[in-house]
Amino acid sequence: MYGSLDISTSGMIAQRTRMTAIAANLANRDTILDTDGNVNPYKRRQALFAPGNPNAVSGQGKALGVHVRQISINEDAVRLKLEPGNPHAYKSGPNEGYVPVPDIDPVVEQVNAMEAARAYEANVSAADASKAMLAQALRLLA
Amino acid sequence: MSGLAGITNSGALPTLELSMRFAAQRQRLLAHNIANLTTPEFQPMDADPRDFQRALADAVQRRRDETGGQRGPLPWREEGPLRRDARGDLRIDPDSPKHAVLRHDRNSSDLERSMQALAENAAFFRLSSDLMRFESDRLVRAMRETV
Repeated sequence: MYGSLDISTSGMIAQRTRMTAIAANLANRDTILDTDGNVNPYKRRQALFAPGNPNAVSGQGKALGVHVRQISINEDAVRLKLEPGNPHAYKSGPNEGYVPVPDIDPVVEQVNAMEAARAYEANVSAADASKAMLAQALRLLA
Repeated sequence: MSGLAGITNSGALPTLELSMRFAAQRQRLLAHNIANLTTPEFQPMDADPRDFQRALADAVQRRRDETGGQRGPLPWREEGPLRRDARGDLRIDPDSPKHAVLRHDRNSSDLERSMQALAENAAFFRLSSDLMRFESDRLVRAMRETV
C-alpha cells in the first residue's frame, strides 16, 4: 500500500514541477534581459514526463509512477516585437527597431496550468483512496 | 497441517486474504495510470477483476474437490496473468489494451475510467477487509469460548 502512495506522490511532484515551469513562463513572458543586464530573452521551459520513478526505494516503485525526465528549454521561442523607442531595440540591420521578446502564449500556458491542476487533484484522490485502504487494513490489527 | 495453519486456512479467510492482496496490487496499477495522465505515449495498464474472480472461484472449487470441505490451503493455478510469489503475494502481469488514441501526445489514459476503477477497487478492498475482520472476530470469540 505504501507503494501506491509513492506512485501518487510521484505524480503530484511531477505535476507541481510542471506547474512551476508554467508559472515561470507566465512570469517571464516580457523578460528580455538576463541577470547580467544583457539582451537575452527568457526562453520557454517545458517539463517532460516519463513513466517510472528513479527515486523510489523498491524495485516495483522504480517501475511504476512518473518522473520529470527533463526540463527542456526552447531556444527558438523568441519573436521580434516592433518597439523603435525601446533602448534595447536593434540599432541597425534588417531588424532595426525590433526587440527580441519571449514567444510565450499565455492562453497555451493557462490551458497547460489547468491540465496540471486537474491531474494533481486526480493524484490526490488516488492517494486518499490508498490511505483509506491502508487504514482499513490496519483496523484488522485493532 | 499445523494448528495455526488449520485456523488461517479455514473458511473464507484465504479467499479474503487473496482478495485484499489483489486489490492492493491493482491499486498500484491504477495509481500508476493516474500519475501518468499527461505522460506522452503512455498506455494505461490494468488487471481485470473478472480474471481474478474466475481464478479464485476455480481455486475454491478445487479445494472443495480435494478436501471435501472448507479447510486447507487454496490450490491456486500458477498460470495466466495472476501468479503468486514465494511469500504468497500476487504478481500481476498487467494488461495494456490498445485503445484508439485520439490525443495528440499518443496517451490513451481515460481519467473518468481511471477514477471509476479506483473507486470500485477501494470498495472491493473495503468489503474484503470488513469480511476478514468479521471472520477474525468470530475466531477470537471462539477462542474465548464466548460464541
